[in-house]
Amino acid sequence: MKKDLQNLELLSAYLDDELTQPEKAEVEKLLASSLELQKKLEDLKKVKQLGNRVKRIPESPFFETRLMAAIEGQKNETSGIKRWMPAAALAVVTIIIMVVLKFNPGLIDKMWEDQKVAIAGFYKENLKPVLIAANLTNEDVFNFAFNNELPLDNTRQQYLLLGYDDSGKEFFEIRSSHERIKRESYNEFISAMNLDAQQKQTVDSIIGSYSKALEAQLLVNENNTIAINPNLWNLRKAIFADLLVASEKLNKIKFDRIVPAGITNADKMVVVNTSEKLKSASGDHYIFVTPDSIFAEAYQFDSRQFEKEMREFEKQMKLNEEEVKQFTLNIRYDSTFRYVDDARNVHSFRIQVDSNICRVDLPDPEVPEIPIPGMATIDPLIEEATNNIHFYAYKIPKIEKSKTGIKIEYYNDDSVYSYVVNYNSLNMDSLAEVNPGLDLYNLDKLKSVKPSDDTMLIKYQFDRDYYNRYYSDDEFKKQMEELQKELQQMSEELKNHKIRVKSKVTESPKK
Amino acid sequence: MISKEEEKDLQQPQILSIDDDYSIIRQFVDGDKSVFQILVKRHKEKVRNIIYITMNNSALVDDIAQDVFITVYRNLKHFRFESQFTTWLYRITVNRCKDYLRKMNVRKIFFPIEEGSELSEYPTPVENNDISRIVMDAISKLPVKLRMPLILKDIEGFSYQEISESLNCEMGTVKSRIFRGREKLKEILQPLEKELMN
Repeated sequence: MKKDLQNLELLSAYLDDELTQPEKAEVEKLLASSLELQKKLEDLKKVKQLGNRVKRIPESPFFETRLMAAIEGQKNETSGIKRWMPAAALAVVTIIIMVVLKFNPGLIDKMWEDQKVAIAGFYKENLKPVLIAANLTNEDVFNFAFNNELPLDNTRQQYLLLGYDDSGKEFFEIRSSHERIKRESYNEFISAMNLDAQQKQTVDSIIGSYSKALEAQLLVNENNTIAINPNLWNLRKAIFADLLVASEKLNKIKFDRIVPAGITNADKMVVVNTSEKLKSASGDHYIFVTPDSIFAEAYQFDSRQFEKEMREFEKQMKLNEEEVKQFTLNIRYDSTFRYVDDARNVHSFRIQVDSNICRVDLPDPEVPEIPIPGMATIDPLIEEATNNIHFYAYKIPKIEKSKTGIKIEYYNDDSVYSYVVNYNSLNMDSLAEVNPGLDLYNLDKLKSVKPSDDTMLIKYQFDRDYYNRYYSDDEFKKQMEELQKELQQMSEELKNHKIRVKSKVTESPKK
Repeated sequence: MISKEEEKDLQQPQILSIDDDYSIIRQFVDGDKSVFQILVKRHKEKVRNIIYITMNNSALVDDIAQDVFITVYRNLKHFRFESQFTTWLYRITVNRCKDYLRKMNVRKIFFPIEEGSELSEYPTPVENNDISRIVMDAISKLPVKLRMPLILKDIEGFSYQEISESLNCEMGTVKSRIFRGREKLKEILQPLEKELMN
């Protein structure tokens, strides 16, 4: 049986021509003598030939492309071990951190504090007074007292504005130059008080007496840091109050117009005392505004050391005849500028940022209640005087009329508004507002624009009573009445012009 | 005078020699990975066909063939030049087919499906006179250890030596399995003997 099987296997191999010569000879010998084997060979041959009947798979035209793409894709993948390397490394690091923290639970806090100290250290380097760095003038300080606004560099690129919100809480803003208020109160004051050169010197000397105090309370450096001593708000009030008290002496008649209620002797005493104490007060706590963050930290500004350095610097400057280096603050804020709320930190500044203004609201305990009693009593006085001085210095709106239109400039609150109405140009905004779905090819169907739509006229509804309440100068009253008449007349003219503009539109040919 | 057409006809067909593959592999090992495409171009159809007949499923062919060539690409730098490249390539092909068949069998245990339904894209032999289809379906019914040598011999025309190397088994085993495969195939195709064998 086994022999038969071997013979059949040989027969199959004989068919495939895979036998040695002796094997082949043996098979042929067997075949010659066995019909059965011949039949078997024939069957095997038929089965073998079936292989030729099997169709080959059609070529795949995209196989190579797909394969090479797959190879390229796999090349970019890291090997199995490499792929898990980052995760493994992370796991190891996590375990190490967990072990370290287990035995040193305060480590993170310490590292955090160290990091904060290092960052704070960087921003505290070479802080110098704005008074020197921005080369502030008496006018700047006066404007600061009246308008709460102070330039932060000698190129006047950025300004600091101090303010109070509705609830009386302090805030400050850092504004770019084109966002500043631009009121020159110093000149207005000198003019309104009708002060001569000598009296002006007195005002200057009062301002000068605050230079030392101001020097220490607002610092800047070339790392774009601003260090604000929270006492700055109080100092501004003190400068203002002091100037008021002095103004009474300088020109009583004019002063009475500004502060009709007058300043009591008790108030004057408070102002004098407060001012003196604030001048000598040295703050050791600052709000640091940096391009990265806002934080409150202890900091001691050594004015004596600074003076010494300045003297040395001036000496060197004279020796080397160097030009004074221009100092420009370049703080840029974006939406990422925020104070990371740290639960361990009692300070929490609310920060609002747009492209030109960064407003920071101070947390509750930040500005110290002045430890000088009675400061609160002069607050209403300062407020009244501020309003009145601003009113007193109120400029009559400038109206320039021409054949082509009207240009009006006027003050409102802290801003100067400028309106230009050109008779010959179509006010497309107004037209579009009253004609939704404006069709430029069918202008004849447009509704006319009513003069009352013009915002400019609404802006000019002056309240005569308001002026009468605060101001008794007959000449001024007369001026205001004339102005009102003029505005009324202008309104009528404008109405006519508008109608003419409309009639022109109706005649426009279709384009 | 022999015309250009005649000259073309008389040209000897280009026969791939061992050296051809070797020189390409050497270039690849030396860093020129682009030559891999030449190897693919030369051998892809043989590889695809072995897979096609072994698996009896055209849908799987390109996936498995891709798998084979990626394996070759990754391991070509370890090629020892001791055998023909094709022997190594077909061994990988056969092993990859066996892997797939094993997976399919495991799947069949957990998700029993009707016999032949995995080949449903093809008509059953009874319904179709396509001899190629009938033979392929019959081959697919052979045990893998008989199927592989039979395909390599009767369809791909390998020598016993090549089959022995590709399947990594003795020549005697190859001889025996080819005979048994033929016998088994004849038995499977017995009902259609008249149609097929004549």
